[in-house]
Amino acid sequence: MQDQVSNFLIQLLQAGNNSKGLNWLEKQTQKISSEPVPAKLFLAFSQASRFFKKEKLELSVKQLEQADQLCSGFEPNFWDELQTARAVLLLSYKAEKETWFKTVNQLFETADMYEHQALFAALPVLPFQEDLIPRAIDGLRTNISLVFDAIALNNPFPAKYFPEANWNQMILKAIFMQRPLYKVQGLEERRNPDLAAIARDFAHERWAAGRDVMPEIWRLVAPFVDEMFMSDLQKALESQDELQMKAVLLALRESAYGPAEKQLEQFPELVAKLDMEAKAWKSIGEEFQQTRV
Amino acid sequence: MYIDPHIHVVSRTTDDYEAMRKAGIVAIIEPAFWLGQPRTEVGSFKDYFSTLVGWERFRASQFGIVHYCTMGLNSKEANNEPLAEEVMELLPLYVGKEGVVAIGEIGYDDQTEAEDKFYRLQLELAKEVDLPVLIHTPHRDKRKGTIRSMDVSEEHGLDPQMVIVDHNNEETVKEVLDRGYYAGFTIYPHTKMGSERMVEIVKQYGPERIIVNSAADWGISDPLAVPKTADLMRKSGIPEDHIKLVTYQNALTAFGQSGQMDEQDWLNAAPLDQTKKMSGNSVLRGGQTPRVEGPSDIVEN
Repeated sequence: MQDQVSNFLIQLLQAGNNSKGLNWLEKQTQKISSEPVPAKLFLAFSQASRFFKKEKLELSVKQLEQADQLCSGFEPNFWDELQTARAVLLLSYKAEKETWFKTVNQLFETADMYEHQALFAALPVLPFQEDLIPRAIDGLRTNISLVFDAIALNNPFPAKYFPEANWNQMILKAIFMQRPLYKVQGLEERRNPDLAAIARDFAHERWAAGRDVMPEIWRLVAPFVDEMFMSDLQKALESQDELQMKAVLLALRESAYGPAEKQLEQFPELVAKLDMEAKAWKSIGEEFQQTRV
Repeated sequence: MYIDPHIHVVSRTTDDYEAMRKAGIVAIIEPAFWLGQPRTEVGSFKDYFSTLVGWERFRASQFGIVHYCTMGLNSKEANNEPLAEEVMELLPLYVGKEGVVAIGEIGYDDQTEAEDKFYRLQLELAKEVDLPVLIHTPHRDKRKGTIRSMDVSEEHGLDPQMVIVDHNNEETVKEVLDRGYYAGFTIYPHTKMGSERMVEIVKQYGPERIIVNSAADWGISDPLAVPKTADLMRKSGIPEDHIKLVTYQNALTAFGQSGQMDEQDWLNAAPLDQTKKMSGNSVLRGGQTPRVEGPSDIVEN
């Protein structure tokens, strides 16, 4: 598995026409796998920035499928060349549990921002997945969005492994940092009543401070709409903000709550617009992110 | 535009950062050094090194200053040999990181055997990773210590052009320059150079390979020493292009040999944004309004 992923990533790097970098990488992976002393990995891991740039990878449709076959939910199309090279280096280190953790813990503890990005985004393709859960949870304590995103967005690891409390904390923090929720893998599947209540409390806090809430928050509420949530959704509907209103209507449409139907009937034009959008939550999320730039 | 190529900003306040930026400092280099209180555990070094490439770099960026650093085991703490051995094992994790522009400050303090041993080991490390070296010259027995630093560096085959010998004075400058090294001068009240003496040195030796810095730290020191010395040079009739060399360009040329420091880093910097946070910590405390330059003035959260 490690070799397969590694070969695939090298193949992705080859599109970058960086033969100097690739030669260096090949030499380093040989050194790292043949001399299992951490120093070789440490040096190569940090020096990778001298050989690879932070240019986004470009994947063909076929390569996107291959990535998903290798590891369900794996999305290296959001990776850059530097982090890809760092993942290759990491995968070339012998997966012998005790020494592996000793070495990789050192990398986590001494990493700079971009090294953290590489390490956390690589979680789904690393060995000893379940033992890495505490590391991923700890990583989310950052407020550097680059690092937070590497764990929370476009990454199958949290949805697959996080206990509910940690999952909910991650989503709440993503809301707090206004990260694009539509990029969180498994967001719909892992909605739960506790998280809906947390989202509701958060909305109340924001409203009390005279601020708006991000529209994507209502997606978390949708399956659990009842009388209590209904009053909040109505309040959001009164915001006169189209994005906010679209999000509420989407949530109402998904809910099985009887009185929701009546509300939807009051906004026929907006509902019609939602029907036009195949991925309405994604487009709401994208549009909201644009308002932040 | 000025560069202060030697300043220990972990010890300075945000007021200092604001004043530095206002005075025209665009980039700084923070050499790894001792902290006054001797460290007794390798973990203290690890977190300090991480601070240099992490939090402090971020904090500086919040004030529009580009932060670089040097990595090394200082000579004073080299005398705790068991600990020094552990620090040497740690260094490979840091020396290759982005923005690490030299191995330093290394060299001699009391000129002991242990200091010599770890100085030599780090010269070899610098060669291995192809980084410049920043040499700290001792306060006591300075002249002899300075010459010994250069002798040993040459013994290990380092090119003097890759070595910055710091904390020079009138007694050391001639030999350091004659042997082809960069000569750093620290404007530090009481113990090192004063601005007036610095002016005389530039008059006498010219601007080539001379670098002015503040080495401001937790002692009585001045984070504006570089711009203030430049002003005094102006008043003393030193030509503007000479001033630029000793307060900006020479540092960039010397440390730029690392491949980790580029003028574009500050000329094309992203707009200042104090709303960014790191590790849950903002540089702003409750009630302060973040300063944001550039296209967006709207602050979320």
